[in-house]
Amino acid sequence: MADETRKPILDRMAALVAGPLLLGREAMNLVFRPDPEASPGAPPAPLRITVTPPEHAIKRRG
Amino acid sequence: MKTRLPDHGPLETPRFWRTLEERIETPEAQQAAHDEFLPGAIPTGPSYDDVHGLPPQSGVSRRDFLGLVSAAAALAATVACDRKGQGTVVPYTKRPVEVVPGVANYYASATHEGRRVYPLLVKTREGRPIHLTGNDEHPGVKGKTSPRTMADVLRLYDPDRLRAPKAEGRIIGWSDAESRLHAALAGAKAAGKPVLLISGAVASPSRKALLADLKAALPTLEHLAYEPAAGDAAEVAGLASYGQPVDLQPRLDKAKVILSLGADFLNGEDPEAQAAWGAQRRLKSAHDPINRLWVLEGPLTLTGTNADQRVPVAPSRLGAAAFALAKELAAKGVALPAGTDLSGIPAGAPAGFPAATWSSLVKDLRTAGRNAVVLCGAQMPAEAHQAAHLLNAMLGSEAVGVRATEPLATVKELEAAAQKMASGAYAAAIFWDVNPAYTFPKAAAWKAAVAKVPVRAWIGQVEDETAAQCQLLLPENHWLESWGDYATPGAAVLQQPAIGTLYDTRPGEDILLGALKALGTNAPDGYHAYLQARWKKELPFGTSFEQALHDGLVKAEAKTPAPAFKGASVAAAAKKAAASKAEGLELVLFPGFATHDGRHANNSWLQETPDPITKMTWDNPVAVSVQDAKALGIEEGDLVTLSLDGVTVKLPAVIQPGQAQGVLALALGYGRTTGGVAKGVGVDAFPFLGLDPASANARTGARLAKAGGRKELSRTQSHHRMEGRDLVRSLTMDEFAHNPQGHHHGPELVTLYEEQRFPDHKWGMVIDLAACTGCSACVVACQSENNVPVVGPEQVARGREMHWIRIDRYYEGELENPKVVHQPMLCQHCDNAPCENVCPVNATNHSPEGLNQMAYNRCVGTRYCANNCPYKVRRFNFLEYTAYKTEPETLAYNPEVTVRPRGVMEKCSFCVQRINDVKIRAKGDGRAILDGEITTACMAGCSSDAIVFGDLKDPKSKVSQLVAASRAYRVLEELGVKPAITYLADLKNPAVEGGHHEA
Amino acid sequence: MKLDAATSAGDIPEGLVEPSLYVGKVTPGSLDDQVLAFPETRPPRQWYFALAITLTAALIGVISIGYTFYLGIGAWGNTSPVFWAFDIINFVFWVGIGHAGTLISAILFLFRKRWRNAIARFAEAMTIFAVICAVIFPLIHVGRPWLAYWLFPYPNQRALWTNFRSPLLWDVFAVNTYFSVSLMFWYLGLIPDIASMRDRTTSKLRKVIYTVLAMGWRGAATHWQHYEKAYLLLAGLATGLVLSVHSVVSFDFATSVVPGWHMTIFPPYFVAGAIFAGFAMVVMVLVVVRETMQLKNLITMRHLDVMNKVILAMSCIMGYSYMMEGFTAWYSMNEYLHHAFMNIITGTYGWAGWVTISCNILIPQILWFKKARSSYFWMILVAVGVTIGMWFERFVIIVISLHQDYLPSAWRIYKPTMVDFGVLLGTFGIFFTLVLLFARVLPVIATTEVKAILPDAQPSHHGDDHHA
Repeated sequence: MADETRKPILDRMAALVAGPLLLGREAMNLVFRPDPEASPGAPPAPLRITVTPPEHAIKRRG
Repeated sequence: MKTRLPDHGPLETPRFWRTLEERIETPEAQQAAHDEFLPGAIPTGPSYDDVHGLPPQSGVSRRDFLGLVSAAAALAATVACDRKGQGTVVPYTKRPVEVVPGVANYYASATHEGRRVYPLLVKTREGRPIHLTGNDEHPGVKGKTSPRTMADVLRLYDPDRLRAPKAEGRIIGWSDAESRLHAALAGAKAAGKPVLLISGAVASPSRKALLADLKAALPTLEHLAYEPAAGDAAEVAGLASYGQPVDLQPRLDKAKVILSLGADFLNGEDPEAQAAWGAQRRLKSAHDPINRLWVLEGPLTLTGTNADQRVPVAPSRLGAAAFALAKELAAKGVALPAGTDLSGIPAGAPAGFPAATWSSLVKDLRTAGRNAVVLCGAQMPAEAHQAAHLLNAMLGSEAVGVRATEPLATVKELEAAAQKMASGAYAAAIFWDVNPAYTFPKAAAWKAAVAKVPVRAWIGQVEDETAAQCQLLLPENHWLESWGDYATPGAAVLQQPAIGTLYDTRPGEDILLGALKALGTNAPDGYHAYLQARWKKELPFGTSFEQALHDGLVKAEAKTPAPAFKGASVAAAAKKAAASKAEGLELVLFPGFATHDGRHANNSWLQETPDPITKMTWDNPVAVSVQDAKALGIEEGDLVTLSLDGVTVKLPAVIQPGQAQGVLALALGYGRTTGGVAKGVGVDAFPFLGLDPASANARTGARLAKAGGRKELSRTQSHHRMEGRDLVRSLTMDEFAHNPQGHHHGPELVTLYEEQRFPDHKWGMVIDLAACTGCSACVVACQSENNVPVVGPEQVARGREMHWIRIDRYYEGELENPKVVHQPMLCQHCDNAPCENVCPVNATNHSPEGLNQMAYNRCVGTRYCANNCPYKVRRFNFLEYTAYKTEPETLAYNPEVTVRPRGVMEKCSFCVQRINDVKIRAKGDGRAILDGEITTACMAGCSSDAIVFGDLKDPKSKVSQLVAASRAYRVLEELGVKPAITYLADLKNPAVEGGHHEA
Repeated sequence: MKLDAATSAGDIPEGLVEPSLYVGKVTPGSLDDQVLAFPETRPPRQWYFALAITLTAALIGVISIGYTFYLGIGAWGNTSPVFWAFDIINFVFWVGIGHAGTLISAILFLFRKRWRNAIARFAEAMTIFAVICAVIFPLIHVGRPWLAYWLFPYPNQRALWTNFRSPLLWDVFAVNTYFSVSLMFWYLGLIPDIASMRDRTTSKLRKVIYTVLAMGWRGAATHWQHYEKAYLLLAGLATGLVLSVHSVVSFDFATSVVPGWHMTIFPPYFVAGAIFAGFAMVVMVLVVVRETMQLKNLITMRHLDVMNKVILAMSCIMGYSYMMEGFTAWYSMNEYLHHAFMNIITGTYGWAGWVTISCNILIPQILWFKKARSSYFWMILVAVGVTIGMWFERFVIIVISLHQDYLPSAWRIYKPTMVDFGVLLGTFGIFFTLVLLFARVLPVIATTEVKAILPDAQPSHHGDDHHA
């Protein structure tokens, strides 16, 4: 019962408020998805750099 | 027992039914209907209603409904969380065999800076090199390396790196780039016109062989190896004294008496020398043997701060003083080498040199004999070098190895090349890893000369001043992506890549190999094959190439005979030294601690590492002696104009205690005009470099005047005296013998509180101030290990630097020649930590193993802990220093250490990630943790082994034994905070009573 | 027969007769007309002008705080080792200002000091507003203000709890308790007056608002009985808080290891300083109020004279405390403490130390003279001086102690930024905006309490001036 009484009421309230808000935001983002083609002037997003292991190298340990 | 039943009760015929069975009202059907939503949906334990004796309402109580709704909402919120700029996490579709996520791989490799080679062990995580330490297999460096080398891992991830070849400012493909280069070289060969190749020092045998092959294929090739920071005077003097280019290797383990003529061998650059120094300074008792360091120098160097006897001597008088010493020794019966003529030198102590000090220096050298060594600073005039060579030859010093080596071009040869370029003689010029457009003193003349060369190719990593003068830019690999080898005393060292190339770059050697093939020579594909072929020929029997790669080296003594000293060279040098006198002020141009010759200027870790002497970051102010500052009315931070030979520069000044009167010191490697980090930091000192190689770095005739105005100095320490507080204890050998702890014996502190208990381990650290030289390698090691952010000069000026470990440097005594002490200061992990009880949210607390730990997630940033820290080692993220970082910079992060956002306090964690790593491995092996198995980054980075970390609960551990040592004390012990770090008092071994306080 | 209240007490011996606490003729009716009718009048142009200035200052503060939220604490001058600066100086300063009100209304009430009756309302309101200004700082000064609620011990799923050993947490409780009790006390006192205003007003909107606020007050005898009991109880509660809240604030410093902070004298010294600063602020505002709101007959020179005497007494206590600090530094033979004290009078910020000493100790000594106590010039000079001096006292304690503590290697000079000044200005703007609004919408004098000191309220009074 001790756990029952210590139910985190504030967390739940925060979640109740924040959940719909965030869901709403997500929904709006789905509807008004920014079109990647829309702004040709914007610089392209930087490509991720590919990390490859070295060739022919012998590792000490690991 | 109550049973849960549908609302309408069991006896009525349902008005609505779900299944036919329910309508028929068989008991089975009713049970099934009842049970339908049971699992999970309806609490199985006693519900609120049950407990409170309320009649059952429905299957799901209101509370549970709300609980579920909130859980769903919270889950939705979690799912909906999307942070800007974060992509999708995709696991390896094809995992490379080498890479195990979460497990570090270590590769043996190596790099070099000028002629000095650093064998290394590279730590990689998920394929990314993140941390460098010395190669522990190497007999010389024994797992140690220099601060600049450790920071060089950041250069791999420099966003300014050129990522593909360029011609006339446009990105082109490699085939195009190569065909342009090859056409130029073939054209030159056909026309018989010379081709200029300028590179850095050739410390690699395979690179040397490759250059020889290229020279054979292209006979008109003129190769210059140029190192602007190496000191032309040393090169000139070596040629004069030994008839060939030499490399001097101090062997301080054999030295009882060391005389430094402005040589800065304890600045972290030379891990071998520093290790030997540390070994002779970590004394257990006053009866242990200790060496003695004499320093005669103009500017105050880090070595000078560690001296037992230091005499400020202007560089122009250094040669005469050293020759006078030789004459005095000869008079005392030490044999001069054949043909030596010292008649130009007046007998006796040089003017201004205290007689008692002089005679004890002479006595020290004579007594030590073969165990004495004289080392001369690369920037000192050639005469001083020649005098040092003479002294070593006279004493028959075993503490220095003289090795024949590859020649380096001096500024004079560069000037000749510039003249030849200006005449239009060269068909092509290749600049490989050098930046003469910046380092050549006459930049305008150089630019005009280079413009006369029809084809100009640049091989390098970050487009620099020289790249701006070239048409063809060939991006080179970082050394961590490349193959190579080096010859070092004691071992042949291999350099292997620790990562595949990040960009469309190639090793410089591959470019030369391509040229070789284009010129018609048969050569292997790629430098790896070339190198492997050479190694397989020369490997000793029984050693495989794979084993050599695994170890990073093959142990082998070099068998070249030591060059012989030529006594005949002395007369001219002695005459010159005797005649040398300074007009105006003397200006010493030394390589910057952070930037070296400018090649590290784009490295923000190094830019923010405080200079060990001035504690300046992000700048190179001119250091003025106390006397000159007084005479000229200069205060710290005043802007001054420095002029010499028609070159005038406006820059801030700092007043440097201990610097000889009439001497100015200025660091090279600043004032770059390219590079995102380097651009505009400090002033360019290369225009002051002399064109006479014998005194290129030690100029005379400088003028200094106040320019009006001030600059806020980005300095990490602004108060330099200890105010008589018992913070750094420093003992002379006499004091150590009589009173090993110094004069401070506080009473045993009593406490009303229960002592902290540590059930398994109690981590602690001992720092030996006698071994610590102040080189700041620990600062860089910590920065790399713990993702310590860089904040920039403005923030440093406001006191917001983030280093978890700093070196406190204090002056004591007369400002003209003070005693200097260094004290690494980091979180003391106090048992009664004052920071812990004041945190309102419990974000900092004590671990059962004695660690004062930070929960970054919990920290709200009240900064109360930092106020209450007597050591002021807590660092606050005043601004957002990390969130805006993108690849490639983020690739340098250690994934084991949280990256801290703004508003959060942080501090040294005793490298808790390393402790846990070892603990987990020991647990996996089912064994106890070995003493010395856990190394903190600072400890591993410390070349002089001044830092020892371990378990204080284990009475046999090294750290426990050192804590009980006679020199042990704790800083601010009287506060009762019970720090876990014990310091061992500094030791000085002066020859003369109060030897430090004379000018 | 025309008699003043004091002289009407015929059976009290001559020497014990209290001087009059009002001037001229004041009757319950005239008092109501004078005080309760004021909010019904149209504000003069000067009031709008003053409000424009204070709102501008408040806006600058809001912008500065917004900028701080956007950039981080780095927008301020705070640095290592001066991790606290204007933020905590301002916090302690405003909490201090907030001390006079409750002292006047609670402690002086318990001591039956009847001169408090006319000024208690205003002083209490200033307490509320000052504490509002103060609580801004703990919220905005943390590195991650969006997590400031973690300072409250609330149950949560992470099973994280606050650290009750931290004085900062005690602060949270002390200031919150003080604020809530002060607010209740103030509101309780307002109820009869609001009810009077409800009954007087002709505006429908005001009627609704006052009706709600009056909570059904009809002035029945039972109402008065409960009211008096509650007022007495709250006064008793608030009395303890006047002493506790600034003592707890001083624990932030006194329980630390910083030389210059770690002092046992801090709790009483802080309380005295707070009363000192609070009274100075009350004097400053009262002078303006009695001049602009035509309340000279109710807030008399005698009120100001008594207030100035309190200021003088507190100034002497402050002088003693400063001397004790020096004595402790010398007598303890603690080199760190010694250095911290010498920094106050000779260090880089020595000027701030001398500003503190001059404004808090030297200038108020003029109040020994009765002429100065009844001169606007001198009392305003002293009050402004004390306000400046007490702000600098906190600067001395916080910045000077922090900027040079144990390890000289970490010592550094602190320089505030424009944002720091913006936030400070902003809190003054917020404070005076609230004061101006209060003066327009609520009775600035507790009429019920003043009525208690009118001759009509005296049992001995058989006045025939009822009909006047």
